[in-house]
Amino acid sequence: MRTKLLVAAAAITTLLSTAPVAAHHSFAAEFDASKPFKLTGVVTKVEWQNPHTIFSLDITDEQTKKVTNWSFEMGSPNGLMRNGWTRNTLKIGDVVTVEGSLARDGSPYGNAQAVVLASTGKRLFAASSRTDAQ
Amino acid sequence: MSSARYVALASAFVIAAFYTAWAQQGPSASRSVEPAPRLADGTPNLGRVPGEKGVWNVPYIQNMGMRIPGPDGKTAAERGTASENGGRGGAKAEPDVPFLPWARGIYDYNSRNNSKYDPEGYCLPPGGPRLMATPYPMEIIQQPEHKRIFMVFEGATHIWREIYMDGRPHPQGDELNPTYLGHSVGHWDHDTLVVDVLGFNENTWLDYYGHPHTDQLHVIEKFTRPNKTTLRYEALIDDPGAYSKPWTVAWNIPWSAGGELTEYICQENNRYLLKLTDDFGEPVLGGR
Repeated sequence: MRTKLLVAAAAITTLLSTAPVAAHHSFAAEFDASKPFKLTGVVTKVEWQNPHTIFSLDITDEQTKKVTNWSFEMGSPNGLMRNGWTRNTLKIGDVVTVEGSLARDGSPYGNAQAVVLASTGKRLFAASSRTDAQ
Repeated sequence: MSSARYVALASAFVIAAFYTAWAQQGPSASRSVEPAPRLADGTPNLGRVPGEKGVWNVPYIQNMGMRIPGPDGKTAAERGTASENGGRGGAKAEPDVPFLPWARGIYDYNSRNNSKYDPEGYCLPPGGPRLMATPYPMEIIQQPEHKRIFMVFEGATHIWREIYMDGRPHPQGDELNPTYLGHSVGHWDHDTLVVDVLGFNENTWLDYYGHPHTDQLHVIEKFTRPNKTTLRYEALIDDPGAYSKPWTVAWNIPWSAGGELTEYICQENNRYLLKLTDDFGEPVLGGR
């Protein structure tokens, strides 16, 4: 138990000391913090670009089996690299789970706050500007 | 309690403890940290010590209305008497900000639409105190032999400012060309770097929440380094075009040991601006 606590404390310390928030446009104008999501799909596209890295997933509806292509906004490449990413962390065909906030306009678009890679189970912070959600 | 829940709870507690410690760091905070470094001539060194890396981790200060120091020198955000950003209550929620009527109206408009038209969302640079409130790393590079100081900002469009330390005055009349960052002249008052800034254009907001300013804006900044890991920033905002009297904002900027600046070119693929529509549903960019 003590080990787990120390690991958690160390992880949080690292996060606070090395992870500046990348803030570009208004989070709240585009996304709704009261609409969280957790979706799993297959990577179809990665745009490793400023001011936001954007990736797309094919997500299959469990009931209807219909496939919808979603896109997710993360932080800028420099913000992501400070959080352990490289431009090859996400590859086309990878299965990932993404958590974040949905777009206000109802489109298949979201602000990603964390991404979990199915192959490794590794969870990466997405350098989101979510803190301006209030 | 399952160990997963225990860790989650412990994590929340540690976050709260860190946050509280951070929020309580006021100008008089006494923590056992290294003293601020000095240059060979004794001037405070606001940057790196030779042989070490490090950058200032500029915090995300969204609402300067919560950053007005009280008689104790601490702001509402530092005292913890208000939420860090104060919510979106508009001008009536900020009695300490001396809005003129039009500025009050514009601020309420920006509050209601969640800062949809924030110039930083267009990849335009911050102006005035927002330079120290846009959350990307920053370096201060002193060149006393050239009587100037550079501040280099990774974020909000990869910009720098030069502070003239050679005693020159601001340009007069039309020689003072309005710019995003204004014209900065500085001097040392004991251990405080005092920077006087004039000549702003009107293309920026004071903060993310959308406090407006005019080209009459005059900012007097004070930078102190109370210890190696803290930069205390204070700015007097004097804009008779938007506010009935000057008001002061202040916050701490933490040092990130080992940090370095990296590239950030905001204009590369700004989809937000490409998609942005006005209040009538028309695209902000392009013809109509």
